[in-house]
Amino acid sequence: MNTARIDLCCLLRFCLLLQGAVLASIPSAEAQRLVGMNSQSVETRTPRESAPVDITGYWESVISEDYRYRMFIPGRRDYAGIALTEEGRARADRWDPERDASEDNACLAYGVGNIMRMPGRLHIRWDGDSTLVVETDHGRQERQLRFEPFLWNASSVRTLQGDSRAEWGRRSLSVETRNMSPSYIRRNGVPLSENAVVMEYFYHRIHPDGTPWFTVTTVIHDSRNLRRPYYTSSDFRKLDNGDDWNPQPCVSEWGPHKDRVLRPAVERVIDRLD
Amino acid sequence: MVHRKLKISSAVLAAGFVLLLNEAAVAQADFTGTWAGIYHEDWPERLPGPELGEYTGLPINEAARLQADSYDPDRYSVVQEFQCRPHSMDYSLRGGSVPLRIWYELDQKTQRLAAVRTRVQWMEMERTIYMDGRAHPPEGAPHTWQGFSTGEWIGRMLKVTTTHLKTSYLRRNGVPRSDKATVTEHWVRHGKYLTIVSHVDDPVFLDEPMVLSQTWALEPELVMTPFPCTPEPEVPMPEGTVPHYLPGTNEASARVSELYGLPLYVVRGGAETMYPQFRDLIDSEDIQTPLQCTRYCRCSALAPCRNR
Repeated sequence: MNTARIDLCCLLRFCLLLQGAVLASIPSAEAQRLVGMNSQSVETRTPRESAPVDITGYWESVISEDYRYRMFIPGRRDYAGIALTEEGRARADRWDPERDASEDNACLAYGVGNIMRMPGRLHIRWDGDSTLVVETDHGRQERQLRFEPFLWNASSVRTLQGDSRAEWGRRSLSVETRNMSPSYIRRNGVPLSENAVVMEYFYHRIHPDGTPWFTVTTVIHDSRNLRRPYYTSSDFRKLDNGDDWNPQPCVSEWGPHKDRVLRPAVERVIDRLD
Repeated sequence: MVHRKLKISSAVLAAGFVLLLNEAAVAQADFTGTWAGIYHEDWPERLPGPELGEYTGLPINEAARLQADSYDPDRYSVVQEFQCRPHSMDYSLRGGSVPLRIWYELDQKTQRLAAVRTRVQWMEMERTIYMDGRAHPPEGAPHTWQGFSTGEWIGRMLKVTTTHLKTSYLRRNGVPRSDKATVTEHWVRHGKYLTIVSHVDDPVFLDEPMVLSQTWALEPELVMTPFPCTPEPEVPMPEGTVPHYLPGTNEASARVSELYGLPLYVVRGGAETMYPQFRDLIDSEDIQTPLQCTRYCRCSALAPCRNR
């Protein structure tokens, strides 16, 4: 009996020492979060309470990659970097921005496969304790990232943003979206089918100057239109407030797409680069 | 009986805590392996190479434009010293340097992670990221292509800070990056994919941090081959010749403006061009995007790609 008591005592001391060592080896904020977890059962914490990082607030996109494809609408049949199937290419080749505008389809480039690529601002907020809402000012879209388990219902009404299921990781957020209506993954009509699966991984970080950023890596699985998954990563910088929030309707045509004839000098440059 | 149960329990718990401690102190995510680059973003810039004079989306200042405008790619054919020059650490994340191999070096005494090592095939570049908490050397220490890197774990994310880089380029069309720059990377792994987001802070050539992200896929079967390089004169020129453009004589940006139907002030880049409000400053009449794509239109891989 005495031996058992001594063992238990040693075990408790050992545990305390190890806990101290573990907590000392990780950043203080993380340590405080872990200590906090001990005092409240994980099962009773809502997704809002268990968020490992805070991504709520106003954010602006920083367009330093794929600039021509994101800031403007590229020319017809510009699919560089996207491995399209024959069907996907045929559908993209039929893109007609004027028809999109006239048929009230101006928001097709603002669907879940491309909305995070758009030059705009995000307002991320909680709706209750288990749904993160992502609003965009450019195109006035709204996404609902739901943490509570649900089954995708193929017969439900489909929207551009689809149905998104979210899950926290360690300092990250994973989102899986299905059940969307057809839309575009590039502004010049590269198609996203209604059977696609869009996976997103949000990673929050702090720049050395103290500014919060997050990057969302998007992986689009769409065997109908894509020969392999399509990867992009989009960067957002946190804003102090919503002063710059500027809701604008969807734009399907940017500037006159004139059927221009290239000047001879430009043709010479192209020949030289070729 | 009670005594025996307690002993077993204490052993199991102790082992669990040791494992927890090990995980926290040694390696929070496994980035080791051979990785293949994914070039879906910025495909034309990263694989065949950027247009001369195209600085879109770069937060560069006027000094950077001036130096970039002096760049003539013929210098690689004429000046042998340029021919076997490796990319610097920051550009090697962007260019076609893959495959990328990552491995860990452990301290033999403590078995703690001492360094993360990387190697890319192109020019056989190797890099060390010290994980042992050492400080960066003083400013006067030698600057190298790979610089001096230290890493720290933030959860399962690896944050890497690199200083002591040699002067190099941000884009393969001569946009410069100075030796005063600091590069901060965040490495994240999700399943078989690795994403590295890099912030380049350069007080000489950038008005704001340049943020870029790159993704790799784990490909254990990928073979990394040697990459020997021997310089040789490709275009005979008198000794000492360095092809270049003098200020005001390079019309490449104007040609890019014409090619893509974008205003010259867009092509010339600048921090203000990266943000959403820039859309409001552009007169839509200035945008003359060609109706039809003319270059790299259907390319998603380098080898079978034709320009149209």
